[in-house]
Amino acid sequence: MSVVVVGAGLAGLTAATELTAHGFEVTVLEARDRVGGRTHGIEVLPGSWVDAGAAYLGGRHTALTGLMAGLGLKTTPTTVGGGSRFALRGGEETRSGRFPPLSAVALGEMFDALEELTGGVRADAPWSSEDAGRLDRRTAAEWAAETLRHPDARLFFPLFLGEMMAADPADVSVLHMAFYLRSGGGIRYLNAFEGGAQEYRIDGGAHRLCGLLAAGLGGRVRLDEPVRAIHQDDDGVEVVTPAATVRARAVVVAVPPLLADAIDFRPGLPVARSGGRTAPGCAVKVHLVYPSPAWREQGLSGWSVSAEGPLLSTVDDSPADGAAGVLTGFVTGREAHRFAALPAGEQRAAAFAQAERLFPGLSQPLAFHVTDWVHEEYSRGCYAALLGPGDWLLLGPNLSTPHRRVHWAGTETSTEFFGLMEGAVRSGHRAAAEIKEAHDWRSIHV
Amino acid sequence: MNADALADLYRRILENPEVAADSDFFAVGGDSLLATRVLSAIARTSGVELQFDDLLDAPTPGALAKKIASLA
Repeated sequence: MSVVVVGAGLAGLTAATELTAHGFEVTVLEARDRVGGRTHGIEVLPGSWVDAGAAYLGGRHTALTGLMAGLGLKTTPTTVGGGSRFALRGGEETRSGRFPPLSAVALGEMFDALEELTGGVRADAPWSSEDAGRLDRRTAAEWAAETLRHPDARLFFPLFLGEMMAADPADVSVLHMAFYLRSGGGIRYLNAFEGGAQEYRIDGGAHRLCGLLAAGLGGRVRLDEPVRAIHQDDDGVEVVTPAATVRARAVVVAVPPLLADAIDFRPGLPVARSGGRTAPGCAVKVHLVYPSPAWREQGLSGWSVSAEGPLLSTVDDSPADGAAGVLTGFVTGREAHRFAALPAGEQRAAAFAQAERLFPGLSQPLAFHVTDWVHEEYSRGCYAALLGPGDWLLLGPNLSTPHRRVHWAGTETSTEFFGLMEGAVRSGHRAAAEIKEAHDWRSIHV
Repeated sequence: MNADALADLYRRILENPEVAADSDFFAVGGDSLLATRVLSAIARTSGVELQFDDLLDAPTPGALAKKIASLA
């Protein structure tokens, strides 16, 4: 019994591996010349890799840690001691911990309001939440304008949302924001490094996950084969790429919603995979490579938060052996679009200048890498698709409903840990389980 | 707010029933985000606006009650 998996990211390769182990004849069609999807490694020095895409995990990410254990991958803690740098109102300042120099009471009121929102949505079916209609119509920006009174909360809210979900508040519905925060384990868990969703990185880089899964699948994974069409008839499915047509009994489409909608489905989908306001997650990740993590000598952790871009936050991603100092910068939300539109030289100058202001005395970087996920042809955004007003009520009920022989995977099809690697792995397991259940009996005949 | 009321508040925010008057907020599950929610609740109840560093200085319900009393 044959299955085609579209997309060699974490979700697709998880499903492909599970189906192969179960005896299915699997072909994975990947559009890019690499596997990994929104996980991607950059080798900043020989043998030293940084995560250009998804990077973090926490203890509750049990499907991911289970997968890692099977592949022999280990976690590495993200904790780095030292002071933080903040540039929230004009000049830069140093604080001993990670708490920003803003009114704690104002931020507390903001988190209270967010907590109330997240507590009111159904994690398993946000579109069926009691207040779903109202929450789906408004943007997070409208909510903030009505709810947040204190200037510190108004300043911090877009930074928080950028950090949590790579979203500009104007791009997401209140329902999507509340659902996302809840799906990830709640605002505290999703926000926290220690004891939260950013507790660990994957030793050697998150890209190793898909690299190892693909190695296990061998020749079943075909690169440079973007899927253009999926046509079903009574007997099976034809999956069409510019190079070939592959016939199968079932298909797993494991690509983000905006990309799934670019595929020509026949018969057509009853409901599209993305809605009228669905937008790419707005993240550009920047890596500045220095000879050493010199900020540590000044008692700084490398952590910073700035109200002005491009580097809205930075974190120390230096290799453990101290071979270099790597400062990772997150450019999210509206700033991601602005930064992505700059010529390379201006991106470089702006990032260098800001890093120098945040961490005075840094030498010139040895290398500079920009990973623009917003315009990445075969991702269309990162961390995950942003659902705008109207989208959840339209798309939610069909989020993971198979279209005859076509099954759906990808982190956006998981109501658990939506947008995270954990959601991707869970969706891969779910899609594999659906196919095993729906098609297993045919394996006797085919 | 006295130490008992603050311990109740910690329990509610931390979702941890094991909080006593001498429990350190950061040792029983508290972090900076949850700290802000304790401080906003104190501001609502007692009208005292504490800073994050106040909770670092006085992380137990007992010590925090004294700090609030000194400022009220």
